[in-house]
Amino acid sequence: MAALRRLTPLAWLGPALVLIGVVVLWPVVVMVQSSFQHIGGEGFVAGYNGTDNYDRLFHEPDFAAVLLRTLVWVVVVVAVTMLLSLGLAQLFHQRFPGRRVARWALIVPWAASVMMTALIFRWALDPSSGVINLFLHQIGVVDKLGSNQAHWLGDPHRALPWMMAVAVFVSLPFTTYAILSGLQGIPEDVYEAASLDGAAGLRTYRDITLPLLRPAIVVATLINVINVFNSFPIIWEMTRGGPGYQTSTSTIYMVDLKQGNVGEAAAMSVINFALVIVIVVVYLSTTRWKEQVDR
Amino acid sequence: MRTSRARTVALAAGAYLVAIVFLLPYVEMVITAGRTKSELLDANYFPKHFTFSNFTSLWSADGLGGNIWVSLRVAGGATLLALLVAIPAGYYTARHRFRGRTAFLLVVLATQMFQPAAMLVGLQREFVNFNLPSATVSLIIVNAGFNLAFAIWILNAFFSSIPVELEEAAQVDGLSRIGALVRITLPLAAPGIVTALIFTFITAWNEFLVALTLSLGSPPGDRPLTVAIDGYVGQYSTDWGHLFAGGLVATVPVIILFALIERRVVTGLTAGAVK
Amino acid sequence: MKKKLTGRVAGGVALVAATTLALTACGGGGSSGDGSTTLKLVVADYGTGPDNASSKYWQGIADAFHAEHADITVKITSIPWTQFDQQVQTMIQNKQYPDITEGDYFSNYAEDGLLYTASDVLSNPGNLLPAFKDQGTFEGQQYGLPFTTSSRTLFYNKKLFTQAGITSAPKTWADVQADAEKVKGLGQTGFGLPLGAEEAQAESLLWMLGAGGGYQADGKYTIDSAANVEAFTFLKGLVAAGDTEPNPGTVNRTDLWQKFAQGQVGMINGSPALIPIIQEAGVLQDSDWTSVPIAGKSGPLATTLGVCDNVAAFKPNGHQTQIKQFLDFAYQDKYQLQFDKEYKLLPATSTATAALASDPVFAPFLTALPKSIQYPSDTSWANLKTKIQQTIGTAVTGDPASVLGDLQKSATAGS
Repeated sequence: MAALRRLTPLAWLGPALVLIGVVVLWPVVVMVQSSFQHIGGEGFVAGYNGTDNYDRLFHEPDFAAVLLRTLVWVVVVVAVTMLLSLGLAQLFHQRFPGRRVARWALIVPWAASVMMTALIFRWALDPSSGVINLFLHQIGVVDKLGSNQAHWLGDPHRALPWMMAVAVFVSLPFTTYAILSGLQGIPEDVYEAASLDGAAGLRTYRDITLPLLRPAIVVATLINVINVFNSFPIIWEMTRGGPGYQTSTSTIYMVDLKQGNVGEAAAMSVINFALVIVIVVVYLSTTRWKEQVDR
Repeated sequence: MRTSRARTVALAAGAYLVAIVFLLPYVEMVITAGRTKSELLDANYFPKHFTFSNFTSLWSADGLGGNIWVSLRVAGGATLLALLVAIPAGYYTARHRFRGRTAFLLVVLATQMFQPAAMLVGLQREFVNFNLPSATVSLIIVNAGFNLAFAIWILNAFFSSIPVELEEAAQVDGLSRIGALVRITLPLAAPGIVTALIFTFITAWNEFLVALTLSLGSPPGDRPLTVAIDGYVGQYSTDWGHLFAGGLVATVPVIILFALIERRVVTGLTAGAVK
Repeated sequence: MKKKLTGRVAGGVALVAATTLALTACGGGGSSGDGSTTLKLVVADYGTGPDNASSKYWQGIADAFHAEHADITVKITSIPWTQFDQQVQTMIQNKQYPDITEGDYFSNYAEDGLLYTASDVLSNPGNLLPAFKDQGTFEGQQYGLPFTTSSRTLFYNKKLFTQAGITSAPKTWADVQADAEKVKGLGQTGFGLPLGAEEAQAESLLWMLGAGGGYQADGKYTIDSAANVEAFTFLKGLVAAGDTEPNPGTVNRTDLWQKFAQGQVGMINGSPALIPIIQEAGVLQDSDWTSVPIAGKSGPLATTLGVCDNVAAFKPNGHQTQIKQFLDFAYQDKYQLQFDKEYKLLPATSTATAALASDPVFAPFLTALPKSIQYPSDTSWANLKTKIQQTIGTAVTGDPASVLGDLQKSATAGS
């Protein structure tokens, strides 16, 4: 009977474990295994080759720059997303006529696939006929259509900020809604008590709203970090990581490697996962999220 | 009173402005889909002629109709499977403290970090080996698997927020434990379930890379919508008109779905996280 | 056509010829009980949507074939060209062997003894264009049968040329530069130079050939040869003068071809596949553009880049006789020509080439085809190609010698 009881959790959690094992863990095992194999250009496995793939990867001239860029990409995109979302959520939390409709508009970039959104921005940034350039030309930012200056995605120093903006754009709806949801969970009487104490405006926000929003912010940040880290379609559709590898993040770099050397690409994936895990663990330990789990 | 009125107007204006900014890219999508081929690359906001041919020709004999049906089955099936698996897991972890609970939740969280894009090769080899009858079944399983983490977490949070006393009272009244779960707890957790449902559905509906990899052995009509739309990106030219028209067809139902449950999304998203 | 349209021949272990003979001896026949056979045909899809999917073309052939050979049914699977390699590879790894593939050909399969030779499955292999024979050859035997080919010429917009006061076709690099400068004066792009990741290896090779260079000489990589550096130094000057579109290193062929079709580009290197794009756009009339041999440093090139997709016939199902019947049928001139006209590709047989020689649209592409240069076909090419695609475009803004030098290093360091 006692043995049976110990098995009860399995009955409830078993299906989930099976599904996770089949869909997620097994391919991860294959990937780790592949990272120690020599795999030909056409995908034929030609045996194990120790750490050759990792050696090659670490000696790629672009490797360090790609990793650094990935970190900058994640930190900037997530930070900007969080800041803007806090503002937007505050705005959309207020009562005003037509709030429902305005909130619907906010949903659209979330509903559309990221690939489609990235393609639209690439299309709108076309140097000679893109509407963004047309607008920038009319307000005097771009001197001449079809010029170098109008070719935003051609210059890595300008392409990256544009792509970060798109990444922020597609992350805003989810994040804003997460914070809205948090705002909604704060009982009115907390504010009433605060106003009795004479707190007002920004001080209320800093002293009362933000601390109470912390769980929502933690969850949203975490999910954003993971998504943004892995965000593939934006860069792939807009610059494909070029020119050279100058706008590649680690996921793009991995896919590029995969076309020529599957083993090295697998090694890159492993490094990639290690990085996400490190970032997430660091983030969780600074926010002491475990308290949430064990609530 | 006047300041409050002015404040409302300012708020509304600001919110509408934000809303417009969010919509603009998709308006451009509609406009491009309506451009004729000869005006495709003209530098203007609105073309001189507007055509619906890109939309109407999507529905030709070999058009997207069949692909929409495939996508519906994939997204619907994945949602159902994910919920069937996630509800017991979310419920049990919310109600019981047992050895391995934290480990289980961390494993679930970890799966969120593994995105399908990185594991294409492994997934492909695996699912071809299973010899499943069709790509649709494989895609249902994969999409359910990759969305499980979010569903379990959100359901766990929701179940946690429902007082256990309610179930206990029901059991005192003669309901079995399962009965109490089904009759009492599940309805109370409905907002969370709906949220998990919509999220899984939309993610599966928009999923592209795995669909591309697993469905290409099937005839064109048996591939999901995202894969079919990608077919307009040819080797020598991209058919922007059809690409964007198809993209709209894929997006509009999702927007409607989202709009319908907008209020629930707000309640559901960080449910239970804030008490 | 596949992003490369090239076979990749692995060097490597021998033994194959012997295995081949042994297997051929006991091959053939072997089908279901009632004497009927189903052939599994896997093809790359060259279409741009459901209307012109390649499966339609093949279904037409399969139906006509079935009418003549009632005991053989051909089952077609078409796969978008971007995914073809991966999908075929998975089939082989899972031992779900196709009978025939049409798309990329892999010497690995020949090496593993999985393929029939050209003469096993074709009555008249001599009719295949000899220029493409090397690519499908492994250990002296031809396993990859070219089915469709393509070559490049220089397209220019006659309307823009007339407006700019240019009277003759560009023949040399100096012509290209001068003409591009004049077209630029009209506010349009002078020369469309797609050196973005999508197809940079093709555009680059055309300019290397112009200076007498190339990726390889005598089977050895020569990416950083003086001729190649010279070619990229010229391009760098062209870019610096603003005679091309901005930042060629990030611009893809699909986008530039579309712009040429819209009348916004003076000159561009293209293949017959550009023609339907021009026609669909409806901006340029047939008399508004033309195509001529690729301009070289000091004169038009007698050669060009030629690419082909191959048929490969697989042994494991043992359908040699039926495959041979089908391939003899499918390689008829009329189907070659139908394919070429549908997808604006070029034929792969001598008789079909002769039949098209007087066609005004195809003729300019056919002249250089028999003398065309192909991509390298050794095992390191696959890896190298992605590196070239990604980085060679930076040579026109950075230092050509060092960019090409780095590529040469990875070419020679490769497995």
